Amino acid sequence: MNRHLGIRKYRVIYRSVVMESLQYAASIAMGFISFAIIIFVFIQLWNYMYSSPGELIAGYNKAQMIWYVMITETIWFGTPSQVVTRQVAGDIRGGNIAYLMGKPYHYCLYCLAKYTGGWSIQLPMFALSALGLGIVFVGPLPDLSPLALLAAVPVVIAGITIDAVLRLCISMISFWIEDSNPFQWLYSKLLLVVGTLFPVEIFPAALQPLVKFTPVYTVCYGPAKLIVDFSMEKYLEILLAQALYLGAALALMFYLYGKGVRKLYVNGG
Amino acid sequence: MSTAVKNQLRVCLLAIKYNIMREMLNRVTFLTNIGFMILNNATFILQWMILFHIKEDIGGYTMREVMLLWGLAASTFGLSRIFFARAFSLPDLIVSGKLDSYLVQPKNVLLSVITSATNTSAIGDLLYGLILLCVFCFSLKRLFLFLLFTVTGAVILAAFALLLGSLSFWFLRADAFAQHLMNSFISFSTYPDGIFHGAARFLLYQVLPVGMVIYRPVHVMVDFDMGSLARILAYTVLICALAATVFYRGLRRYASSNLMEARM
Repeated sequence: MNRHLGIRKYRVIYRSVVMESLQYAASIAMGFISFAIIIFVFIQLWNYMYSSPGELIAGYNKAQMIWYVMITETIWFGTPSQVVTRQVAGDIRGGNIAYLMGKPYHYCLYCLAKYTGGWSIQLPMFALSALGLGIVFVGPLPDLSPLALLAAVPVVIAGITIDAVLRLCISMISFWIEDSNPFQWLYSKLLLVVGTLFPVEIFPAALQPLVKFTPVYTVCYGPAKLIVDFSMEKYLEILLAQALYLGAALALMFYLYGKGVRKLYVNGG
Repeated sequence: MSTAVKNQLRVCLLAIKYNIMREMLNRVTFLTNIGFMILNNATFILQWMILFHIKEDIGGYTMREVMLLWGLAASTFGLSRIFFARAFSLPDLIVSGKLDSYLVQPKNVLLSVITSATNTSAIGDLLYGLILLCVFCFSLKRLFLFLLFTVTGAVILAAFALLLGSLSFWFLRADAFAQHLMNSFISFSTYPDGIFHGAARFLLYQVLPVGMVIYRPVHVMVDFDMGSLARILAYTVLICALAATVFYRGLRRYASSNLMEARM
């Protein structure tokens, strides 16, 4: 196990993926078309839902609501999850994992390093594009302080990492049943419908504590809420929730991987 | 109907039957794919319950009508990917020179290509659409119209994918453009047309076929209009003819990559 822990090898993997992503920056930019259209649909929807810009829905005015959705959608589009979903499931199903697990790195940490390298380029590109779209179609976010924006950065990174670890855990289901994709769909839709399209406050009061226990709170709501409406109390609460979630998710990931590789059956060829 | 057409249809149906049988080899995966796709789609009911809790009318639609819209979108999308899944991945076949094996077959190339794959989870989409119709707004007349519009929608969607995919005969990066336009289609088709105005409305009715696949059929199902029905049917025939023409024009430019491949 110890031979897997040196950070330098993962830094090299991370750097190589960053360099690779830079080569494909034009292809990444093509994704702006779908992104811009989704943002456009949501702007139209919330323009219709609000009778006046000053009206409050679940404590959010129109600009805050649209910016909230734009931030969560930016995180959604800016993090290319196939490295921790399709690729991991494919490695397990196709047997490639038998080759990768013998390498002097931990397979899960290797995937996380690759994933981090991927979004390190893509997320800032989508964030810039969202900023442009937001300023043109909605106007600047009211009461945004640069300090709040800076404080939200570690929360965004922690949220993305928690999401990646949870997706990795789901991909490991492929050790037991052949196709883990359907489980990924459900997880994605939980994040999309409960966390990306609306802030937690929009749900009935009785449901809100329940939503706070789901990954939605740490992955989508936390980062977007802090940028749209920062408060120190909320900041500490979200950071604590993220630390607990990340610890539990990592423990689950190592446990499932350990169990799964013992079940591995490799066909020769 | 001439014997040649009958034979061609039989071959297409057999191709789809064998595609599905191949997917059914692993029964657990097959069933989880379908079941989870239904659940996956159902999560969006929550989104609309919340939106309608805020406002009773969204773009002129009530909850029942939005469910009809969603049902038709899911069924159309599902049927097109059960019967014509390969129309959606045509650029890959063109760019990597994998069309060779279809060209040597003694049957219609276009139909052989587009019916050569089936997406299992699409069965879940098709069933979900029918479930929504039965739960939210069932009537015999509406069921008949729903099935008719699912077929016309699936054909239009496949023809649109074929049109965009055929661009790869001329342009190398056309696949990404086609993919984004198809994604846009899905994004627009699950929201009421009443929330879009001006240029967006023009785009939805005149450029992307969302108007003819989803919006107009939903309006016909809610308030029957013979003129709209005729326009949808005429549009279906026209876009099919256009897609086939563009595909065969492009096929003349196709260059094989000498890829050795057996289709079984």
